[in-house]
Amino acid sequence: MNARIQSQFGEIGRKISRLEAKSKVTGKAKYTHHLKLPGMLYAKVFRSTVAHGRIIKVDVTEAKKVEGVYDVLISVDIMKFIPEPYYGPAFLDQPILAIDKVRYVGEPVAVVLSTDPHIAEYATQFIEAEYEELPAVYDELEAMTSKAIVHDELRPSGTFPDLKHLMGKKNTNIALDYHLKRGDVEQSFKDADFVFEHTFKTQQVMHTPLEPMVSLADVNLNEQHVTIYSATQSPSFVRLEIARLLGWSENQVRVIVPHLGGGFGAKLYIKLEALVTALSMIAGKPVKLSQTMEEQFYTITKHPTTFKIKSAVNKSGKIIGRRCDVWWNGGAYADIGPRVTQKSGFTAAGPYDIENVEIESYALYTNRPPSGALRGFGIPQLVWAYERQIDIIAHELSIDPLEIRRINLLKNGRPQATGTIMKDAALDLVLERLATRMNWSSTHPKRNGSIKSGRGIAIGFKASVAPTTSTALVTINADGSCILSMSSVDMGQGSDTAMAQIVAEVLHLKSENIRVVNPDTDSTPYDMATLGSRSVFHMGNAVKLAAEDAKNKLKLLAKDAGLGEDYAGPFSDIFTKKYGMQAGTLVGFGAYIPSYTPPDKKDGSTTNATPFWMVGATGVELEVDSETGHINILKMINIVDCGNPLNPAIVETQLSGAAIMQVGFSLTEIMKLDNGQVTNASFSDYKIPGFNDIPIAFENEMIDSYQSNGPFGAKGVGESATFGVSPAIANAIQDAVGVSLSELPMTPESIFKAIKNQHNKRAGA
Amino acid sequence: MKSFDFFEAPSVEIALDSLDVDDLQIRPQGGGTALMLMMKSGVYQPSKLVSLRGIKELRDIRLSQTGELIIGSMTSLSEIEHSELVRSHAPVISDTMKRLANVRVRNIARLGGALAHGDPHMDLPPLLSALGATVITISKNGRRSIEVIDLYKGYYETALKADELIESVCIPNLNNSRCVYLKCTTRSAEDWPALGVALKLKIINNHFIDVHIVFGSIGEVPLEMKQVQDLLEGKHASNDTLDAACELAYSLVEPSGDALGSAEYKKELVKVYLKRALVQAINHEGAVK
Repeated sequence: MNARIQSQFGEIGRKISRLEAKSKVTGKAKYTHHLKLPGMLYAKVFRSTVAHGRIIKVDVTEAKKVEGVYDVLISVDIMKFIPEPYYGPAFLDQPILAIDKVRYVGEPVAVVLSTDPHIAEYATQFIEAEYEELPAVYDELEAMTSKAIVHDELRPSGTFPDLKHLMGKKNTNIALDYHLKRGDVEQSFKDADFVFEHTFKTQQVMHTPLEPMVSLADVNLNEQHVTIYSATQSPSFVRLEIARLLGWSENQVRVIVPHLGGGFGAKLYIKLEALVTALSMIAGKPVKLSQTMEEQFYTITKHPTTFKIKSAVNKSGKIIGRRCDVWWNGGAYADIGPRVTQKSGFTAAGPYDIENVEIESYALYTNRPPSGALRGFGIPQLVWAYERQIDIIAHELSIDPLEIRRINLLKNGRPQATGTIMKDAALDLVLERLATRMNWSSTHPKRNGSIKSGRGIAIGFKASVAPTTSTALVTINADGSCILSMSSVDMGQGSDTAMAQIVAEVLHLKSENIRVVNPDTDSTPYDMATLGSRSVFHMGNAVKLAAEDAKNKLKLLAKDAGLGEDYAGPFSDIFTKKYGMQAGTLVGFGAYIPSYTPPDKKDGSTTNATPFWMVGATGVELEVDSETGHINILKMINIVDCGNPLNPAIVETQLSGAAIMQVGFSLTEIMKLDNGQVTNASFSDYKIPGFNDIPIAFENEMIDSYQSNGPFGAKGVGESATFGVSPAIANAIQDAVGVSLSELPMTPESIFKAIKNQHNKRAGA
Repeated sequence: MKSFDFFEAPSVEIALDSLDVDDLQIRPQGGGTALMLMMKSGVYQPSKLVSLRGIKELRDIRLSQTGELIIGSMTSLSEIEHSELVRSHAPVISDTMKRLANVRVRNIARLGGALAHGDPHMDLPPLLSALGATVITISKNGRRSIEVIDLYKGYYETALKADELIESVCIPNLNNSRCVYLKCTTRSAEDWPALGVALKLKIINNHFIDVHIVFGSIGEVPLEMKQVQDLLEGKHASNDTLDAACELAYSLVEPSGDALGSAEYKKELVKVYLKRALVQAINHEGAVK
C-alpha cells in the first residue's frame, strides 16, 4: 500500500537543505548572544547555596562598592516595579528573584549589573546571603508525605481549568494529581493467571542546548514599551506573560527571536525574560543576561520519575489489566510539569489494548532545580517502564518479545486507555517494519566468552498536546515574491524549511524562494509555542490555510483586475494590471486549532484526547562485556510514524538527533546532587554522547503513512525517535546477560553490579 | 572570571623571566585546555598567564644520537598523534592519542601541559611512566632530569618548581619491548579514564623480562605496581601466572572512588584490564615496541 500523497508541484517530500544552513555553517547567522545595544548592561545572577531556607538577609553593600558595578538588585527592588513578580505557565509560583524563601540550590537571589560582564561576575562574590535552613525534600516519593513543604501555599495560574481546585491549598507538595479509571483493574488482578509488579526509575537530566539561555530587554518607560530579544521557543507566550506581569497590553511588549542554538524544551515559557525586563525597567538601560552552560543546570531539567506498574496477564500473554502509579519530580517550581503529568498520563499504560486500566499520576514539588518539558514531554520516562515490563513478562512466560507486543498492540479503531478511538496511528506497521529490519525471525547468534550479545525492541506512542493554536501570514509582494510570517521558532529542527515547502506547494513556487520571517511578535502572528512536536501539524495547517487564503485572494485580485480568476500567468502580472505598476501587497491569513475534549473529572476519560498520535520504535543489537559491564551498541534502528514526511532529509536528522540524545539519557547522563547542589554541572563531568558513542550501525526510517488531518498528511516527529531507545537497550542487555535493569542511566558499573548480584544469587540458590 | 594578563612568551628565557616564584597567580600555560576548565569553575583565578605556545624551540619531535625519542613540551597532542617518528619509535603513544579526549582538545593541548597539570585522571602520565620516560626541565638554575613517575607528588601536585618549565620529554629506546596502554572509560567514549593500565615488558623464551606496570586514575598519582612486576619478572607467560598477577594487583590496589567509578568497581576493573593488557602484550597485537 502506498498511502503517501503525490505532491502536485513536487515541493512536498523534497529533500532540500535547511534554508538557513549556509549562513549557519559560515558563521553568518545572528544569535541573541551576538547582540549588543548602546548603553547596555550585563547582568550576573547570584544564586542560592541552600536547598530550602528562609532568607534572613541579603547584603549587597560590598558588591556595590566594586569598581565598575552599576547596581546590585534583590527582590524588593523588583517589587517596587512589579508588585506581584511571580510567573509560570501552570502555577504562578516562580518569583523573578527569590522572595522570603529559597527553594533550591542555584535559585536566583540577587543580580549584579555592570557594563563589563566580567566585573558583574566578579562582584557576585561580594554578596552575602544569610538563610535559616529548612528541611529539604529531594525524592518524589518522599515529597508525597514529607513534612518539608516546598510552597507554603499553591498558586495555580488561571491558564488551566483543571488546576483551579488546587488554589490556596496548603501543606502539600502535590502540584497535580491526574486519575484515569477504565474498567475494573482490581477484578482483573483477581482474574488473571499472572500478576506482575515492578518499579522503574529515571534520573534528572538536562537539555544542554549548545547555545545557553540568553535574553536582552530594552524597556522604554516614556513610551511604556519593552523590546525583548530572546532565545525562546515561545515568543507569543513571553509577550503574554510579560504583559500580564507589567499590567500592559500585548502591543506594549515586543519579543524578537533571532536564530536559536537548540532548545529541546528548555527555552519554553518564561526563563530569563521576566528578570531582564525587570532589570531594564529599574536601570533604565538595556540589560542582557547570558547564562553559562553551568547555569542552565540550575534553570530547567527533565523530571526524574518513579513508576510503579502492575499488570494482570493471561497465560497467552494477553494483558487484561494494568495499574500505573507515576510520580513526577517537578523540582522547586512547577513550570509545565503539571501538563507533563496529565498529558503523558493519558498513555502511561502503553500502546496496548488493555480492558482495565487505572492510572494515578502525580506532579510533585521538591527542592531540586525545576523540571519541565524535554523532548518527549514525559513519554520516554513512561516507555522506559512499560516496555521494560513487557519484556520481563515475555521472559517469564517464555513468549517472544515481538509476539507479546503483537498480541497486545492497539489497533486503529480500538479505544485507547482514555476511551479515545485510535486513528492514523501506525503502531502495527511500525512494529512489523522494525521486526523486518531487525531480521527478528532469524535466531540471534550468542557469543561465547566474556562478551555476550543480545537484542531488544521497544515501542512507544504519544498523544500530541491539545488544544493549541497556531496562526500564520503569507504575504505576496507586487513582484510575486512571497513572505511567510509565523511565530514558530526554528531552533535547528528545520521548521522554517518545512513551512516554506508547504507555502511553495500551495502557491506553486520554489521553497528556496520563500522568505521566512524570524519570530517578532510585532509582525509575526500568534503561535502557542514550539514544543511537543506540534509545529508541523498545527503551524503546518495554519500555514497551509494562509497560503490557500492568499491563493484565493490572488484569484479575486486577478478577477478584479480584469484578468479572470483562472489567470495562470505570473502573480506580478496581476499586481501590475491592478495597480498600473509594480505595487501593492496581498496578505493571506490562516489560523488553526484542532478539536479536543478535556478529560472527565471523575474517570479521566475523553473521546478526543489528541488531534494526532506519534509512534516510535527502536531495535538494538549490542554486546555486553560481562567482566566490566560495558556495552557496545552494534546496531540501532529507529522506526517512526510521522505521517507523510514533508522533507525526508530533515526528518532523518530529527530521528537521528532524538535517538542520540536519548542514548545519552540512557547510558551516561545524570545530574548528581549533593544536598541539593548539582556537583557535575559542566560538560567535563556531565557527559553527553560524542561521535564515538553513536551506535556502529545507526539506521532511521519513516514508515509509509498518512495523517488524514495533517497538512499534506504530515504530523510531528521531533520526539518520536526518543521513545524506544532506553528500554530497547535494557531489553537487549537482559537478552545478553539476563539482568533486569530498572534505573537509568545504565552505566557500566550499574550493569556490572547487576551481573554480579545475579551471579551471587545463583551461587546462593 | 576576572580579567587577567595574557603574555605570549617568544622564548624560554623571556618566559622564565616572566614567572615569579612567590606569586602563584602567575602561571605558565601550554594549550590551556585543562587550565580553562579550572578557571571557568572558579578553582583558579590567575593574574597573569604566560603562554609558552609560541616558543618554536619547544615544539619538535626528534631522535637523539643515542636513539631516544625527544618530544618538545609545546608539541601538540595531535602532532604527536600523527608523527611518523613517534609511530615508529613508540606506536603505543600514537595509538593512545586516538582515544585521548577528542580531536579539538588534541589540536590545542600540549604535551608539557598534559604532564604538568597533575590531574590523576590522565592517560600520558601512567603511559610515559611505564615507558621509563623522563622530563627535562629548565629554570634559571639550569636543567634537570626527572623521571615521569617521580614528577607526581599528589593530587594536582608535581615536583616542578614555580619557576621551572618542562622543556622536553625523553622516551628511551624501547628495544623491542612490548608496550600496551589500555584505557577504560565509564561515561562517554572521549572521557577521562576511569582506569588506565600501562605496561612495558619483554618476553624472551616465553618468559616475562623487564616488566613495568603503571596504573592511572586510581589514586592521587600514577601507581607503579612493583610487587606485581616482581611477581611476573622471569616467570613463564602462562595463564596461571597472569591470574596470579591480576589477583595480586587486585589485592594490592586501594583505589579512591570518584565520579568515574566507585572504589570497589575500580578494583574489579584493575583485575580485568591488567589481564587484558598482559594478554595483548603476549599476543603482541601491535604491542611490540
